[in-house]
Formats: sequence, C-alpha cells, structure tokens
Amino acid sequence: MSKRAPTPPITGPGSEQWRTTEERDNPKAFENAVAAEFPPGAAELDGSSRREFMQLIGGSLALAGVTQLAGCKDPPQHVLPYNVKPTDVTPGRPLHYATALTYGGVANGVIVTAWEGRPTKIEGNPDHPVAKGKTPTVAQADILSLYDTDRAHEIKHRGAGVGWVTFCKTIRTHVETLKGDGGAKLAFLAEASGSPLLASMQKRLQTEFPKARWYGHSSFSMDEAYEGAKLAFGRPLETQLDLTKAKVVVTLDADILGGWPQWLAQQRQWAERRAPGVTMNRLYVAETQMTCTGMMADHRVRSRASDIARIARALHAAVAGGTGDAGDAKANAWVKALAKDLLGAGGEAVVIVGPRQPAAVHAMAHAINATVKSQAVSYTAPILPSYEPLTALAEELKGGRVDTLVVTAWNPSYSAPADLGLGKLLAKVPNAIYLGTHEDETAHDVAWFVPRAHELESWGDARSIDGTVTIQQPLITPLYHGICVPELWSALLGEGGVGGYQLLRSSYAHLDEIGFQIRLQKGLIEGSALAKESPTLQTASVTGAVDKLAAAPSGIEVNIVPDYKLLDGRYANNVWLQELPDPVTKLTWDNALLLSPATATKLGLARNDLAEVKLAGQAITASVLPSPGHADDSVTITLGYGRNLGTETNARGAGTDVAPLRTAGRWFAAGATITKAGKGEKLAITQEHWAQEGRPIALELNNRPSFKRLPIVEEGHKGHGETEHDEDLKTVHEQQGPVESMYQPHIYPGFKWAMAIDLNKCTGCNACVIACVAENNIPVVGKEQVRKSREMHWIRLDVYFSGDENDPSSVQPQPMMCVHCEKAPCEYVCPVNATVHSDEGLNEMIYNRCIGTRYCSNNCPYKVRRFNFLDYHPNVQNVARMGMNPDVTVRSRGVMEKCTYCVQRIERARIDARVAGREIADGEFTSACAQVCPSKAITFGSLHDKTSEVSRAQDDPRAYDVLHELGTRPRTVHLARVKNKNPEINNG
Amino acid sequence: MADLARTISPSITPEPLIEGPDDDLTLTDSVFAPVWKPTAKGWWFLFMICLGGTGMLFSAIGWTVYKGIGVWGNNIPVAWAFGIINFVWWIGIGHAGTLISAILLLFQQKWRTSINRFSEAMTLFAVICAALYPVVHTGRPWFAAYWLFPYPSTLGIWPQFRSPLTWDVFAVSTYFTTSLLFWYLGLLPDLAALRDRSTGKWSQRLYGIFSLGWRGAGRHWRDYMSAYTLLAGVATPLVVSVHTIVSFDFATAQLPGWHTTIFPPYFVAGAVFSGFAMVVTLIVPAREFLGLKNVITLRHLEAMNKVILATGWIVAYGYAVEIFNDWYSGSRYELGHLHEKMLGPFAPFFWMQMFCNVVVPQIFWKRSLRRSLLVMWIASIFVNIGMWLERFNIIVISLHRDFIPGSWAAYAPTIIDVSLFVGTICFFGMNFLLFLRFVPSVAANEVKELAHEMRHTHV
Repeated sequence: MSKRAPTPPITGPGSEQWRTTEERDNPKAFENAVAAEFPPGAAELDGSSRREFMQLIGGSLALAGVTQLAGCKDPPQHVLPYNVKPTDVTPGRPLHYATALTYGGVANGVIVTAWEGRPTKIEGNPDHPVAKGKTPTVAQADILSLYDTDRAHEIKHRGAGVGWVTFCKTIRTHVETLKGDGGAKLAFLAEASGSPLLASMQKRLQTEFPKARWYGHSSFSMDEAYEGAKLAFGRPLETQLDLTKAKVVVTLDADILGGWPQWLAQQRQWAERRAPGVTMNRLYVAETQMTCTGMMADHRVRSRASDIARIARALHAAVAGGTGDAGDAKANAWVKALAKDLLGAGGEAVVIVGPRQPAAVHAMAHAINATVKSQAVSYTAPILPSYEPLTALAEELKGGRVDTLVVTAWNPSYSAPADLGLGKLLAKVPNAIYLGTHEDETAHDVAWFVPRAHELESWGDARSIDGTVTIQQPLITPLYHGICVPELWSALLGEGGVGGYQLLRSSYAHLDEIGFQIRLQKGLIEGSALAKESPTLQTASVTGAVDKLAAAPSGIEVNIVPDYKLLDGRYANNVWLQELPDPVTKLTWDNALLLSPATATKLGLARNDLAEVKLAGQAITASVLPSPGHADDSVTITLGYGRNLGTETNARGAGTDVAPLRTAGRWFAAGATITKAGKGEKLAITQEHWAQEGRPIALELNNRPSFKRLPIVEEGHKGHGETEHDEDLKTVHEQQGPVESMYQPHIYPGFKWAMAIDLNKCTGCNACVIACVAENNIPVVGKEQVRKSREMHWIRLDVYFSGDENDPSSVQPQPMMCVHCEKAPCEYVCPVNATVHSDEGLNEMIYNRCIGTRYCSNNCPYKVRRFNFLDYHPNVQNVARMGMNPDVTVRSRGVMEKCTYCVQRIERARIDARVAGREIADGEFTSACAQVCPSKAITFGSLHDKTSEVSRAQDDPRAYDVLHELGTRPRTVHLARVKNKNPEINNG
Repeated sequence: MADLARTISPSITPEPLIEGPDDDLTLTDSVFAPVWKPTAKGWWFLFMICLGGTGMLFSAIGWTVYKGIGVWGNNIPVAWAFGIINFVWWIGIGHAGTLISAILLLFQQKWRTSINRFSEAMTLFAVICAALYPVVHTGRPWFAAYWLFPYPSTLGIWPQFRSPLTWDVFAVSTYFTTSLLFWYLGLLPDLAALRDRSTGKWSQRLYGIFSLGWRGAGRHWRDYMSAYTLLAGVATPLVVSVHTIVSFDFATAQLPGWHTTIFPPYFVAGAVFSGFAMVVTLIVPAREFLGLKNVITLRHLEAMNKVILATGWIVAYGYAVEIFNDWYSGSRYELGHLHEKMLGPFAPFFWMQMFCNVVVPQIFWKRSLRRSLLVMWIASIFVNIGMWLERFNIIVISLHRDFIPGSWAAYAPTIIDVSLFVGTICFFGMNFLLFLRFVPSVAANEVKELAHEMRHTHV
C-alpha cells in the first residue's frame, strides 16, 4: 500500500488552505514528514484479517488527526447551541428530502432521511411514478458510499494537489487555446445520462466548441436495445413495459426481477399480477446463469447466452406459424408451448430481451410483441442520448488527435474492454481530466484528477425510465470537496464559481421560485414522462437482421454479467454490498466462475478450485463455484471485482477482474478453454445446504382457480373437498392453525405486530437484507468471519433447490428472520432475562442486559439470532458513523441481536399518534424490509385490526407457520409459493 | 446392602484390601512418605509441563476475554462448542469422587478408604476446571460473573429462574462447596498427623494452621465422624442432582438431539462412568510412583473396573434409547438428527464414541484384563476420550444441522479452543501434583482404622 493514512482535506473550492507555515511553504516535505511519522506499515499486515487491517487504518487515521491538532493549535473557537431554532430542524426528529440516484444515467426517485443534516437512510419516493416508494437493492447501500473515507478529497495534477481556483483558472486558460479550431482537439467521455441539465450544458459546450467530440461509455449501455428498435421500427426507441397487462411473460436473458437496476418497476408490476388464481401470470425464462428471474420462472430453459438468439429465432418463427430449432428437445417443446400460450393470451403477453443480447434478438422481440398485439409494451423516444462509441475514441487517442479529454464516465481504465488499452492511451493525453469518486485505476492514468461529489451531495436531475424528470438535491455539503458533472463542465465554460444549484436553477428558468420549490420538494416534475409513440414494424428489416444472425460457434462460452451487488465495480468499496450474499449463490466478497455441475465434472473442477479461462489469447484465473441451474458449456463470471489498484481499500483482494476477456465490449463469446489451476481459498458463502430434505420449510403449490383455507386435516382422514391431487395443499394445511396446548392462550389486548412474507412474490433480490442493514446499524464482519458463518444480517435469504442439480425443477428463495414466536423458545432459556416478550407480541432483545450465553440461539429453531462474536464496530473516529441510525443501539461485542420488527419505527409511530391524539393507522409506517420490497412480498402491521393488510395476508389460504408443529406460534407467517405451470409442458 | 465387590463377583474370595505389614507405623510411614521425601525429578518434570500448560490456559482465557468469543470456532448455528463440551466433561469427571466418598461411605464399602482422598481431590480440581468455562464462554464475562447470581440488585432485576443455566449456577456452586468441605474435613486428622511429625518450622506452622487445632481427642473423633457422615448425606443427592441439572441444559431445549427425557439418568451414569475412568487413569501411575501399592491394591482397581463396566452398560442403554426414540418419534427433525449423527459429516466422531464407550469397556468381562494395569490404563483413557466425544456429538452435531437446512453450517475449533482444553488438563494436573506433594493422597487415619478392623474382623 503506497497510500499514506488519509489526512483531512486541505484544499477545496474557493480556498487555498494551509495548516502550518511549513506546509504552505513546502507542502511536499510536510506530507513526507507526516508519512514518515506514521508509516502505513503495509508489509507486516500481510496475512492479517481485513478487520484488523481496517482497525489499524482507522487507528492511524485517528492518530494522524490527533497529532495534527497537537502540532498546530487553532485559536479557541466556541460552539453555541441553537438559541433560535431553525424552523425546520427539531433535534431528534429526522427530515426527509426527495432526490434522485442514477444508475446508468437513469434516475430512481428516492426519499432520504436526514438527522440534523446527516443522511442516514434512503427509501423510494412514493410519489415517483416508477419508484412508488421502492428502490433497487444497491440504492439502499448508497448511504454508505456517501460516507466512504476512501473517497478522493483533492484535485490532483499529475499527483500533486491543486486548489479549485487554480484548477479552474488553469483549465479555462488552456481551453481558450483550443477554441481556435472550434475545439477539434477537445473530447468528452461521458456516461450516457438522461439528465436534461446535462443535455442543456452539452448544448452550450457544443456551441462554444462546435468541433469537440462526444464519446460514451457505460457498462449499462442500452445501445443494443436501441439498435434493435432501429431495426424493427426504423428509429431508436425506448421500450416501456407494463407487466400488469401481461399474463404471459417471456424473458430472454432479461433479469427483470432483481437484476439491472432499471427493472425495478417490472418487479413490482410482475408481482402485482402474481396473485394466484385465474389472472395469475405465467413466467417463461430462457437464460444462462440462474438469476432472480430464473428462480421465479414457471418454465425455465437454460441455454448458453450466445444460443439465446437461436431460441428467440425459433420463437419468432413459431409465433409466425413456422418452426425453428431452439436447441435441444426441451427447448423445442418449451418454444412450441410458449408460442401457443403467447398467441392465446389475447394481447396479454410480452417478450422481454435483456440489454446484453444483440440487436437482432431485440428486433425479433419487437416483432413477436407486435404479432401477439402485446398490450404490455409501448414505445417512447430513448431516455439516453447517443454518443460515439469508445472504439472511436481509442482510435482518436492512438492518432494523438486529442489534447484535452474530459472523462466523466465511471473509471474507463478499469471498465473499458481491456483490448482497447484505454489506460495507456489516457496516460498519453496531455490534458485528460477525470472526475471520479475515488483515485481509482483511471485516476492514475490521467493528468488531472478531480474528486467527484456523491449524488447525495450534488445538484442535478435525470430522467427515470418512463422519462419522468427527477430532481436531485444535495442532502449534505460535499464531505470531501467533490464537485458534480455540471460543475466540471461549467468550469470549461469559464463559469468556475457557479455552483450546481445555480446551474440547475437556470436550466429550469421557465419555472418561478414557488414552482421550482414545489418540484424540488416532490423530487420530480409531474407529467414529464415521455409521450408514447406508435411506430410501425418494418418486417423486412427484422427478417433481414434475423437472417444475418450467425449460429454461435460451439464450445465453452464465457458469459460476463454485471454483478448484483457491485454492478460494474463502482460499488466495490461498499462493504455492505461486498458482504451481501449473491441472491442465488450466496457468495460474498468475491466473484467466481459459475458453471453447471455437469460442466464442472466434465472439466474436472470443484468448488474452491482455481481455473484458468483462456479466450482469444487472453486469460484470467478465478475461483470455481458450480451452480445448479447454470447452462452447460458456459461459464459465468460477474463484472466489478479484482479492483486492486485504486484507493478503494475494501475492494482489494475481492475476486477477479474479467476485463481481459471482454474484448470489444462483448458480454459473451464461445470458444474458451478452461483448465484447473490449483486449489484456491475457500469462498465465503453464507449458505451451506441447498436441499429442504423433504421438510415443509418453503412450500410450493400448483396454481388453481381458487384457494380455500380448509379445516385442519385429522390424521388418517382427508379434509373436505380434497382429492388425490391436493397433496401439495395438504402440506400447507398441516402447517396452519392452532397447536394443542395445556395452557390458555395469552390475550393481547392492544396491538399485535405481525408480518407476512409472500413467497410467491419474493424474488430473492436482497433489497430487504440491505435495507435492514441500513436501518438497524448492522455491522459488516469481513470475509474471514463470513467463512466462519458469523455474518450478522438479520434477514437470512435462504434458497432451496429441488430436482436435478443441473436443471432444478424449482428454486425457492425464502427470507427468514426472527418470526417473533408467541411462545418463543429463546425466552425461557436466557438466564438473565435479556430476551423477553412485549405486551404487543414482540420478542425483544435487551442488549445491555445480555451477557452472551448464546443459549437463546441454540434453542431458536429458526436460527435467526446473530451474535457479536467480536467487536464488529471497531471503536475508531470514522466518518461512516454519521450514517448510523441514531434511533437504533449500536451493539457491543458479546451481545446477541436479531430482527426487532423495527421496534424504533413502531415507537416513533406511537409517539406521533399519541401527540396527535389518535391510534396508529394501518400502513402509517412499516418495517424497513417491507418498506423497500419491490414486489411487496413483505407486509407488516397489527393483527388486532382485522382489516389491516397483514391480517388479510395472514388469513390467506396459503399462509402457514414455518415449523408449525413445534407450537412456537410465529407472528411472521410465510405464504406458500404458487407455480403457474403450463399443462402442455411436462418437464421443467 | 452387601459388599459391592462381592455382589458383582461372589465366587471370588476377596483379597485383602491392605497388603504387607499393617501396623500403624508402617502404614503411616508409607502413606506419608511422598510428603516427606525430597521432591523427585519426575515430579518436577511433570509439574513444569503442567505449569506451562496452565500458563497457556490463562493466556487463552485472557485473549478470549480481551478479543471476544470470536477467537473460538463457535458460530451461528453452533453457538456452543468446546466451552460447554469441556464444562460437561469436567463436571462428569468430578462425579467419581463424590460417589466414592459419600455413597460408598454410606453403604459402608470398606474398599473405598484407600482411594477416597484421591478421588475427592480429583473431584475438586475437576469442578474448578469445569467452573472456569461457563463464565469464560459468555460474551460479556464481566457481567456474567455476577448477573447470574441472585444478588439483591437495587434495580430489582433477578436471574431468570426458568433457565437451566441459572439452575446450573446453583447446582455447580453447591457441588463445589460441598466437595471442598468434605475433602477438607476428611483431611483434618492427617493434616494434624503431618503437623505432629513435621520437623521443619514452616511446615509445622502451615500444617498447624490447616489442621484447625485437631488433637485427636475422643470428642474430636466423635464430632468428626458425625460431621463426616452428615456431609456424606448432603453430598449424596448432589451426585445425582448436579449432572441431572447439567443435562437439563440440553433436555429442556427443543433441539433434536437435546430434547429427550433420557438425559438426566444417562448423564449421571455417564458422569460416574467417566469419573471412574479418570480415577483409574490417575491412580495406576500414582500408586506405582508413590509406592502405595500396599494400600491401593489390585482389588481396588478391579472394583473400579467393574463399576466402569456397569455404568458403561447404562450409558450404552442411554444411547440405544436415544436412537430408538429418534426413530419412534416419527418426527422428521428427530430422524434427520439421527441421520446426521450416524452418517453426517461428524459421523466418524459418533462411531468413535460408540467404540470407546460401548465396545472398549467390554474387555472388563475378563478377569485377567480387569486386573492388567496396562490394559485398564489404556481402556480408561479410551473411556475419557469417548465421553468427551459424547458431549461433542450431543452439542455440535445437534446444533450444526437442526430444523431449517438453510441455516446449517460447519464447525471447526480454533487453536484457542484447543489451548483452553489442553490448558485445563494441565491446570488439573498441576493441582493434582501439588496435592500429591503436600498432602497425603491416601487417608492414613482411615487406612489405619481399616487395618484395625481387618485384624479384628478379617474383612
């Protein structure tokens, strides 16, 4: 580690600050002195745990701060309490602000909770037409990225710190010299964004530098989709989906239920139509690796990613009345039945293609959707602008034709396809300016590095997927003096002093002050969704493209996908996401080579082996993880890992960088050779056992027109109306109803807090897990502790496979957290009364009474209690502590903890209700997990109100108690999952 | 109640319980000899090893308290492991002492006299080792050390009396107190004798202080005998209660593999079984090196081996009932537990346990093996290992795979776990070596009394 312990920022906008005269006169020597006094000591840290490493880093940080104070005493300053309180700030009461977070340039409307200026929690904006109160999984973790201490805090010119004013002056003077030839030597590398502000700024820049070129780079490129629309309709279009109007949903390599952050609305719409019965939708999935969508599929075929086109082609032909070869017999049967289902759905059908697939596949989907007269699809103009491709930029750079390159795309040196060698090319650009959150791989290659503000520190806007303009307002002054993209671009225009607010405000100059404030408050501009277009399908063009589709070469395919957690690697330093188990494999802190068990056997590979993957002369070495349900002859590995060069300390040592294999930006390619390269480290996986062992834990039913809650079946007798085919229903009934007891049931006169989890809607997307982490100050324990099964997540998202290990017939995610048993086995065994029952039915943990015998965990049949085996909140002065929820105790080591039903939210609602002199209304508040769940699988509330949402859910015929026979009377019930099988498909 | 030895093998004419010359002086000399002799090199050698191990024990405890339970291998779901295994193992070992001293005294088993002091000391030291664990294993021992006791807190907070862990606190502390008093009371006449025969100034003073003014007066003997018998009466139910309550830690929980009513008797039998095995393990070398062969005879050892055989069968019955109940319950979770126990990842430990505790003791059916010092010593070590494995299997196998497969996880101990275990063995050994060096390990007064009785009644 070459980096010295970070010292607080010394430069920032509008100031050239110094702490001592020595520092002012000889900044380098001062820096060296600090570094010499507190050497990073990286060498002796080899082999130590990540946690110890973090503690040491934290400690050295604190020490550096302490001596800095001792060495340079500021004149005494006095702080004063609020004398006249600002009208909108009440200490101890959080405020909520609407803003936006963007993924791949597309906005997600969010509401951020802030305590006296410190943001602590992100939730979806309920008024936002796309978010509707929900967020993607990664958005929940963004709060931690805000407080990331590894973020850059200094403008640097070739490694030397520069002040903001100097930077603005230097850059402006330099850019003036480029004006002569209309900015022909000026280029921009941006991430395509649907921001009207950026679009208007781009226009201004284009006016000033008409010959400047604009290149785009993003791992979340929608280019193939736009290209596909161009083939089908003659112009690029955004496909807008409304899955509430689809009874038959087909996804071709499209992970709509938890993947790619832009699918948030699809998850909700799909779940809305998932209620069992005649209106229930049917999900057909063709994909390579098992995904959240694949786990929920009614019928799934696994196929190499490069063979998805073949399936699409067969389906395209079948819908048109012809036939085509989809691959094997199973896929052919699947396509045949599916085509019939699509045509028979009366327009309530849709085919969705993932953004990784080539344009022709998208075009075929458009054609099929047109043929079946899909009501679920509509079209608007594209959200994202189109830029010149990265390959063109690489050519320009090779030719030395760019003098000044303004990079605002995320970390191109790492994320661009390796064969472009962009890092080396960037190093040759005389004036490359990179705006980045961290001094990452790209920062080392460019001449100028500018720290980027977090989105929660920035003014801005962006369109969400339906086009709704969503406004971004800062929650906090930039912690590390970062700036946002508009501010950087405005510096090029010579407006260095203009802040993000003025830039945003002036782009909405047509709104008066009140009008602007209303929109700011709401976080969006209502009615700004893009107008629907009705394009005409150009059949000939589609057919032409289809005919041009070459069959994929045989052999083993390498399939690269964005990571569920780190996306393309931009979240690599976010420890919440690093430690979040993958929705399917439950892998943490790593990526791995996923492949089907059959392929693993064929290649002689087993879990934790290292394998070398060679493709077109390039090679990587990664850990192996056989994954049931993966397509044969294909290996999947996610983006975003192997980040060892940047200042992102948490990213180091996690996984393998796949960039060398991603030549020409492709996601998948056949023809790889894979060889065993020894035994690797044990992967940190949170689940060890994947079969239910015939136990009624996560139940699954077949769909039927209606479900009835039947009386409990007596042993040896069949219940009323049951037939031989109702075996699955019988299992559910056995897990319902009261259990015999010698004692009178306890009477709960007031609230009876309870939860219901609908397994039919839970896609395993992990949003609840990370929301719970953010809400309840749940610590991160590190890879080594996860290997020892000591992860602290209160929600355990179990996944159960059944059927064949290569092609499982069913994959069931099941969230399992404290079920708040009315007769809780944990309570009577605690020797010190540290876990007791509340009069509202909560199983409560009294942290300061707990002595940590762990007996409660032993006696918990659900094993949902978590123990602080070590001090997981190391006692360092850390800026991340600002992000903690002040309503929730931070647990010390040696203390047991578990789901509390967000008791702090219950109490806050109670206080509010009491002050207002009313009762807590149903739906007035909810737990963090239920709040975020994009498919509304989790409902929380009180059972004393028979009409509450949770009461109705618990009365559902599918509701059952996990481990019912133990008589624990859980307050959290699960609703059995229902599969809506097509009777015409027998297998899969 | 007839002589136990005779009941078991009535056809054999009992051998004398004391061999060789049995006049008072010779007996006293031979029993006190280890105390008077200069410290042997072998003693120093063993003592230094044990002292080192004790250092390791307290370092491991210190590290655990400083860093947290995370330095052990425990996890979720295996929240209890080495700490509780060792606790139960040591408590079990402690049982033989009380059984030999108290119950056999009440039953007037004469053969106990030569080994009771020895086994009582073993009890005491084993209970000390056991008592270390429950506090150290908690997450916050600085609170556990006193919150577990019902002290009159001004906050009005009491321990939870429904929790078996609270019962444990009472059971173990009562057991320790009674064992200590019983052992010390029995020592009094011998301490006085040591005082009287000491030549050194300091040994006279120290033995003088600890003998509490014993003069051997008739009244002393009368009070001593009644107190000793009374304490034996008090200690007798403890033999049953302590391990019964320890077994409640498991039996009252609802975990498959723990939730079973056979546990109290099966734990008590197992405790006696392991306790006698430990006595044999210790006494075989001790009588050899301390020259106590004339008072601790083969007849004593044989009797103990018979007890091992008998209790071994009770334990085997317990295993059989456990397995039968798992099957008979029809519960998928109990059956699952049975499957994991016999065929799961820890199955070798289960089969090893069966071999050590069920198969090995059967060799004691044969008289020659029962009387072979080497055979019995090795067999007793097997039993000790088997009983440790039994607790490992009950705790770890039951916890690592219980109801919900999604929560299952593996378990592996760390170096600290092993250090703690080996450390307590060394700590126990150190205490025992000190006992052998400074206190007569055979009750001289009782042996002499027995010798008198033998002369008059030909026992």
